[in-house]
Amino acid sequence: MATPNGRLSPPTNTAAAGPNARTQTFTTPNNAWRILTRKQPILKADPIEALSARIGIPIPEMIFGDNFVAIEHVPSGWKLSFNAEDALDRVSKTEEGMLQVAVADAWKKDREGMGAGAERVVRPFDWSYSTDYKGTTTSPDGKAAGEEGWQLTDQSRDPIRTDLLSRPDPILFFDSVDLYEDELADNGIGLLSVKVRVMPERLLLLARFFLRLDGVVVRLRDTRVYVEHGGRKVVRQYTAREAGYEALRERLRGMRENVAEVLRDANALAPLLPVLEDRTEVFEVP
Amino acid sequence: MSDLDKHIEQLRACRPIPEAQVREVCYKARELLIEEGNVVGVDAPVTICGDIHGQFHDLMELFRVGGDVPDTNYLFMGDFVDRGFYSLESFLLLLCLKVRYPDRITLIRGNHESRQITTVYGFYDECLRKYGSANVWRYCCEVFDYLALGALVSGAATDLEPTDSSFAAEPSQTQNSMSEDQAEWEIEVLNSTGQVMNRYPRVRTQNEFSQLSNPPSSPGQSPSRSGPPGSGASSSAKGSSGNSGGAVLCVHGGLSPLIDSIDKIRLLDRKQEVPHEGAMCDLLWSDPDEIDGWGLSPRGAGFLFGADIVKCFNHKNDLSLICRAHQLVMEGFKEMFDSSIVTVWSAPNYCYRCGNVAAILELGEDGSNAGYSARGNGDANRSQGVLQPKDQERALGPGRRYRVFEAAPQDSRGMPAKKPVADYFL
Repeated sequence: MATPNGRLSPPTNTAAAGPNARTQTFTTPNNAWRILTRKQPILKADPIEALSARIGIPIPEMIFGDNFVAIEHVPSGWKLSFNAEDALDRVSKTEEGMLQVAVADAWKKDREGMGAGAERVVRPFDWSYSTDYKGTTTSPDGKAAGEEGWQLTDQSRDPIRTDLLSRPDPILFFDSVDLYEDELADNGIGLLSVKVRVMPERLLLLARFFLRLDGVVVRLRDTRVYVEHGGRKVVRQYTAREAGYEALRERLRGMRENVAEVLRDANALAPLLPVLEDRTEVFEVP
Repeated sequence: MSDLDKHIEQLRACRPIPEAQVREVCYKARELLIEEGNVVGVDAPVTICGDIHGQFHDLMELFRVGGDVPDTNYLFMGDFVDRGFYSLESFLLLLCLKVRYPDRITLIRGNHESRQITTVYGFYDECLRKYGSANVWRYCCEVFDYLALGALVSGAATDLEPTDSSFAAEPSQTQNSMSEDQAEWEIEVLNSTGQVMNRYPRVRTQNEFSQLSNPPSSPGQSPSRSGPPGSGASSSAKGSSGNSGGAVLCVHGGLSPLIDSIDKIRLLDRKQEVPHEGAMCDLLWSDPDEIDGWGLSPRGAGFLFGADIVKCFNHKNDLSLICRAHQLVMEGFKEMFDSSIVTVWSAPNYCYRCGNVAAILELGEDGSNAGYSARGNGDANRSQGVLQPKDQERALGPGRRYRVFEAAPQDSRGMPAKKPVADYFL
C-alpha cells in the first residue's frame, strides 16, 4: 500500500478467503466517507447459472460476481457501489448493438447451405458485454435509488479537479478490482474494472469498460466519481469513446507506435478515441 | 546425460534453452509428430490435462500432483501457450518430454497453437523478449502445424479402484448409501494431497445417474431426451456392443457439424495454420451449450452444440465420453449432458487472478476387469418406462478420477505476489 507519509491507519483487512480474496475498508480522515472493496475468486458453476437466470444472458468467462467497490457517505448512509451483476444487467439482451467478429462474413459464407440449422444464431445478445453502467445508488434507508437525485450538470459548474488530482498528494488508500472479463473467444478483450484512490482531501474512482474487438472496434466507457471529503457533492462523469479498429491501427502506425502494445493499453488509447458521449451529473448527499 | 536430458533439466528450472537447441528439438519433434495420425491412439491408463497457458509453475504443480513423465502417461489437450508469463518454457518442456518419451506423452493442438493467435495473446512477444528475434516463435509455430487434432483413448476401465486414502472432510453427498464392498465407483475427486473430496458410485442407468447423484461440477443436468429425428436413436443394429466401456475422444474444443465420424477427422489435412473456418477450426474452437442441435455463436463465428449432438456422435462412434478443454471452469472440471462430455481445465488461478482451481482426469486401465460385464442390462429393463432405447445402448463411461489442485505456492515462482500498485490514474 502506498502511504508515503504513513500518518493514518492502514486499511483493515477482513474476511480473507484464499490467496486472492480480501475485503478492505477505509474511512477518510474527516470520517465523512468510507470506501469498501472486495475481491474474491471467479464464481463457481452454481452461482453462475443462478446469475445467468436472473439477468437472462450468458455470463462472461471470468465473472467476479462477489467483487465490489463502494463509496459510502458515513453520516447519512448514502452509497454508490459498483458490482458485476448490475453492470451486466445493462448489457443489451437482444440483437440490438450486437457486434460481429472480424471473420464473421467469411465464416458465414463458408457455412451457407450446410443445413443442420447451423446458420441459426442462438440467444442473440451483446456478447461484447458493453455496458453503460454508472454505478448503483443506494439511499440512506438501504433501498435501491435508481438515478433519482442525480442532477445533470457540466464540468464548468462541477468540475472533476484534474489539476488537484494531478498533484503528488499521498495516496492513503488504493485498490483495483475487476468485475468481469471476457476474452471474446480470442477475438480481443472486454473488461470492466474499477480503480479507486483516496488522498487526504479528495478521492477519485474510475470504473472503466474496455473493449477491443480485433479488426472491428475499440471502445472505452469510463465513469469517474469525484468527491471532496469536506463537501456534500458527488460528481460523476460518464465518457464514452470509440474508434474503428483499422483506422486506429493506421493512425498508430503513422505515429510510429508499437501498435500491438498500445492496442492492449486502455490508458494509451483513451486520448486517441473520439468522444461519443460525455455527461456530468452531481448528487448532493443529505 | 544426453543433451535432451540436459535440456529437460534446464527447462524444469524454468530457464530457456539456446536458440540452436530449440531449433533442433523442434525439428526432432516434427519428425515424430508427422508420423502421428490426426487422431492419436492412446491406451489407458492415461492422465488427461486441459489448458496450461504458459503457467509454468502450475505445470510443475500438475506434475507433482499427477506424477512425473515417464511414470505417468499424459495427454495434453492443447493451449500450452499465451496469457501466462512462461509460454516458452512450458511448451519447450512438454516438447522435450515428447521427444524423449514419445510413447508416454501425447500433445494435441489447441486454438492457441496458431501463428495468428500467438501474435495477439503473448507467445510471440515473449519469444521476442527472451531471444531478441522471432526465430524461436517461428520454429514453435512450425511444430504447431504438425500437432494432432485429437486422441482416442481405448482400454479405459469402467470401474474405479477407489483410492486407499482418507476423506478430506465429511462427505456431503449421500454416496455411501451403497455399502463399501459392493460399490462400483464411477467418479472420484481427490485434492492435491490425494485425499478424497468426493466419490460417486455408478448407478444403473444414465437416467438414474442424473437424478441420484449430483457431482458438484455438473449442476443442472439437462433432462435426457431422445436423439433428434434421424439420429438412429431407435436403431439396435449395434446389438449390445454399446454396453462395454466405449472409447474416449479427446479434442481441444469440441465437435463440428462437418464431422459425424472419427474417420472424417482422420481424413483432414491438418498440416497447416489453423483455418478460420471448416472442420479443423471447429474441432479447436467449438463449445457445448444447453441448446438443441447446432447453433451459431452470437459472435458470428464458432459453433455451439447441444446434448443431442454429443449423444448421437458418441453412439455412432462407440464412444463413452468426449473429453475437451478450451473453457475456464472454476471447479477445474465440468461434466455435462449426463456425463457424455467433460471439460477439463488445468490452469489454476488463470491469468494469475481468477482464483479457480485446476483439474486433471485419470482414466485407469481395464486390466483386472477384462471379463467385466455391465450389470446394467438386466436392471435397466425394469425401469423401461423412462428410458430411451439409446440410453440403454450407451457405452458405459470410464471410471473417472479427477485430481484437483491449486496454483503453485507463490514462493515457488521466484517473484513477488501481485499486489495492485497504487497509481495516480485520472
